[in-house]
Amino acid sequence: MDYLSSNKILIVDLETGATSEEELDDDLVSKRIGGAGITSSLYETYKDSDPVILGAGLLTGTLFPASALSVISAKSPRTGYLTHSPFTLKAGMELKYTGFDYVVIRGKSQKPVFLWLHDGIADVQDASELWGKDVWDTTDHIRKTMGDDLIQTLVIGPAGEEGSDLAQVCVNYWANGDCWQFGKVFGSKNLKAVALRGMGLLEISDAEGFVDQCFEIFQAIKGSALSGKRGVEDILIAMGESDAREWLAPVTHRHSACYNTPYPTNTFLYLSVDPATLTEPPEPEPGFMITDIGALLALKKLGLSAADAGHVLKACARRGVDPAAVAEIAGKAGQKDPKAIEQSLASMQGAATVPEGAKFSSWAPAQPIFGDFGISGEAALKDWWVRRQAVAYLFGIHPIFANMSPELSEEALLEMANKGAGLELSQEALDQAIADVCS
Amino acid sequence: MRIDVDALKCIGCMACEMACGYHRDDAFALLASCIVVYRAREKKDYFGVVVKEEDSLTIARPEGLEIKRIGVAEEAGDSGQKKEADASAKPMLLREPCDRCGDMKYGPMCVKICPVNAISLIEGGE
Amino acid sequence: MDFYHSYATINQKLARGVELRYGEKEASVLPRAPRLLRVPRIGVYAGTGTSHSWLWIVELFDRMSFYEVVFMTEGMVRGGALDGLDVFAMSGGDTIRIAEGLGPEGGRAIESFIRGGGLYIGSCAGAYLPLKSSKQHLDRFNFVDIKIANLSKTRPEAKRMGSKASTSYGCDFVYHPVREDVLLRMTGREPFSRFESFRAPLYGGPSMVPSGACDVLAYYDGFTEKTLFLVDESLARQTLIGKVAAARAALGDGRLYLFGPHFEHPLFPTANHLVATAIFWDMRKGRQSGGFSAPQAILEGPEKEKLVRDLKREISNSRIVTVGLEAIPVQWILGCKTYEPEKIRVFLEAIWKRIRVLERSRTICVQQETCEEAVAMASRVTQLLRRMKAGIDDLLDTQDIAWDLFDSLRGLTTLFLQMYFDSLGARFRLDS
Repeated sequence: MDYLSSNKILIVDLETGATSEEELDDDLVSKRIGGAGITSSLYETYKDSDPVILGAGLLTGTLFPASALSVISAKSPRTGYLTHSPFTLKAGMELKYTGFDYVVIRGKSQKPVFLWLHDGIADVQDASELWGKDVWDTTDHIRKTMGDDLIQTLVIGPAGEEGSDLAQVCVNYWANGDCWQFGKVFGSKNLKAVALRGMGLLEISDAEGFVDQCFEIFQAIKGSALSGKRGVEDILIAMGESDAREWLAPVTHRHSACYNTPYPTNTFLYLSVDPATLTEPPEPEPGFMITDIGALLALKKLGLSAADAGHVLKACARRGVDPAAVAEIAGKAGQKDPKAIEQSLASMQGAATVPEGAKFSSWAPAQPIFGDFGISGEAALKDWWVRRQAVAYLFGIHPIFANMSPELSEEALLEMANKGAGLELSQEALDQAIADVCS
Repeated sequence: MRIDVDALKCIGCMACEMACGYHRDDAFALLASCIVVYRAREKKDYFGVVVKEEDSLTIARPEGLEIKRIGVAEEAGDSGQKKEADASAKPMLLREPCDRCGDMKYGPMCVKICPVNAISLIEGGE
Repeated sequence: MDFYHSYATINQKLARGVELRYGEKEASVLPRAPRLLRVPRIGVYAGTGTSHSWLWIVELFDRMSFYEVVFMTEGMVRGGALDGLDVFAMSGGDTIRIAEGLGPEGGRAIESFIRGGGLYIGSCAGAYLPLKSSKQHLDRFNFVDIKIANLSKTRPEAKRMGSKASTSYGCDFVYHPVREDVLLRMTGREPFSRFESFRAPLYGGPSMVPSGACDVLAYYDGFTEKTLFLVDESLARQTLIGKVAAARAALGDGRLYLFGPHFEHPLFPTANHLVATAIFWDMRKGRQSGGFSAPQAILEGPEKEKLVRDLKREISNSRIVTVGLEAIPVQWILGCKTYEPEKIRVFLEAIWKRIRVLERSRTICVQQETCEEAVAMASRVTQLLRRMKAGIDDLLDTQDIAWDLFDSLRGLTTLFLQMYFDSLGARFRLDS
């Protein structure tokens, strides 16, 4: 692959610490497109060594709107089959620029390690100093010792190390769409973290055509139904929580977006500082960024204040547990005391409910947000959601934004993939790739 | 004419940075852009935008805009004495200054691509 | 005219043993002369006191395929390494530190090299160095009877960039009236006979007034929209306009080219062309062509792959820290020069952009012990940068680390570039 790609698949054997590289074959891209399509294919090739596979979408890290997504694919301990978890913020984009489009992590290390991917170099590094640290301290430690605050991390906390069924792979400091217990998989491999930083460059086949089209789509999005909407609060309102803005208002600081995503899906709550503060607060950890809308909603439904919900979610993220699962388990147990929930995290047992046969994370709400996709009926809605997520996971589109923006149509995505990558993908090829990734 | 940024509107998506990077490299890359989203204070949610122009550095912080003349000594308050231009006016020296995407049909790409209209081109200098 | 291509063609053909004459056919970029051209052997000074501008010479030589290059420290100069060379190039930095580093022995070695027919090319600090001076350390380099016009008993008031506007020069001050682009007017003397005017960047280099016999090649003629005035414009005009910007002087059988502005700066092709012209025109005459003297081991296969990967790993690690430092308001005063984080990147980028060439190359010319030294030094640079970043984050003084870092960076860059130039030079010779 010459375009929108570093043309490299990295194979890491944790057993030996050895790494090797393969080229990304054009035929594979034409057939499976990218993201979860290609991680699924690589899983088949390497499944004997129980791999965890990271993969960027075909459009990830480009100027295409919402091209923020990369995926983690592995056999989920929760389901027993291959599933896919999204990672966004700036980490999805960063993977593409490390010089590797795909990373196959095989086997199990004898001792704790972390994987450092940078500029086409893969280093399996000792993580004995990191083992035992929570998610926040781990990311801090990696950034401090490597000397760069922009390093992105996929990281587990104590939950993952201990093999908890609630363990989640977090991104930097924050919750992630991992509802598949991939944190437990990382822990079982003695893999504490994957650290990402790259300063690569992606060539474009038809650069002018690609960028022209990006601008057109951006303009269409600017004038669309999501115009003027912000953050988690408007998403919750669109999901029927009409009081969400008032509920969050006492602690809402600012909203921020994942890479090149035209809607800020993340909302930062200031928990120990006045949320109206604009200057840099002296407190090193003044609050928490909401990235998991489902978990926040579940805690709201338990009757927690937004501040209390923020504290619980922060505790979940530090320990590296799936906050949606925690909220569900606490709800089932009738536990509504935020302090008690926080204190029970270390001993909490159970797992989140996932739909039968699900392959994609329930992180993205199961309904259109703001945008009108012309869907009616429960069955049609379910089919729409699965297909929409599949498309997002192939091309590298933010999976929540994919449910907001009809402007990012399959036709537009195919056209952009062909212009950007110099491919000749057809709707039939996309249908087949979706079928493959969903099977 | 200069690039103006409203950091309070900014959502830190980096679209401006990548668009500028494309303008510089004819490819997708971030190392050469003259507009950079400042995002090193992630745990504090403190982010903003820095723009390198020909003679100045625009630092758009949430609390307000600061424009530093690159390398110019400044009057030091009541004393009237000149002080040395501080080093904060010097970052990004290796990056080319903003040229308002003069050779691009879109005009300044950062302005055009910002999804929340946080970036604009305004009349006047410093 | 693409000067880079023209000179690259000349150098590549010469390396393959093709006979070329000045001004004829493929060598038409040069003035005519009834002589055969040969590959110049060039020493680039990268020792104590130099800043990063010698990397601009590297860029120029790389683009023009001058590959018979030795990167020299003061120890090499003192130790007789100039003997095998035709040209010695000295760019910018801290003139007094350079002189101090070279010492009397270095001064004698350079003088002997020039008197024996060698060509000295100096820009900025490299131009100040051989001018007559009674100052301590500089008094060992009194090769040329040219006075400095931008010298004052008192420090002129700086309009901007105080630290760059003037610097102590013994009991006096050398002041720098402007920075960035200036206009130069040629005098038409050979070998600079084809242009009337051109631009070059001035970053503290001398404005010269000849008092002895020398050829004036170019005068300062005006300012441009990019000229940055560090002192009052009237003083800048008085100091520069009509004064000598480029001169050629004789010493024994050799020649010195002195450029106030940085003629080697990569954004100024015409000025670059003049540097290359000067090299071919006045390189030490009378020598025979022959293979480059430095014997090198050839590294290939897995050993070569490992070396490149190990270096790439560390340079990547260093670049990542350095790009992060870019946004931090910090600077260091080392000697009389101000250093910002960007300068770290200049060294690293000089390596990074060339690592890919070595990655693709089947072989590398390098001794085994140099491989180990280069990787160890690259690793040390990474560690120093990480310590520096941690120190800056913790609001600690990082001045000592900066001294160590810039010295280590210079050493690493020198080692790497030597292996790069040796490898590319060998490739061209092998192609023949």
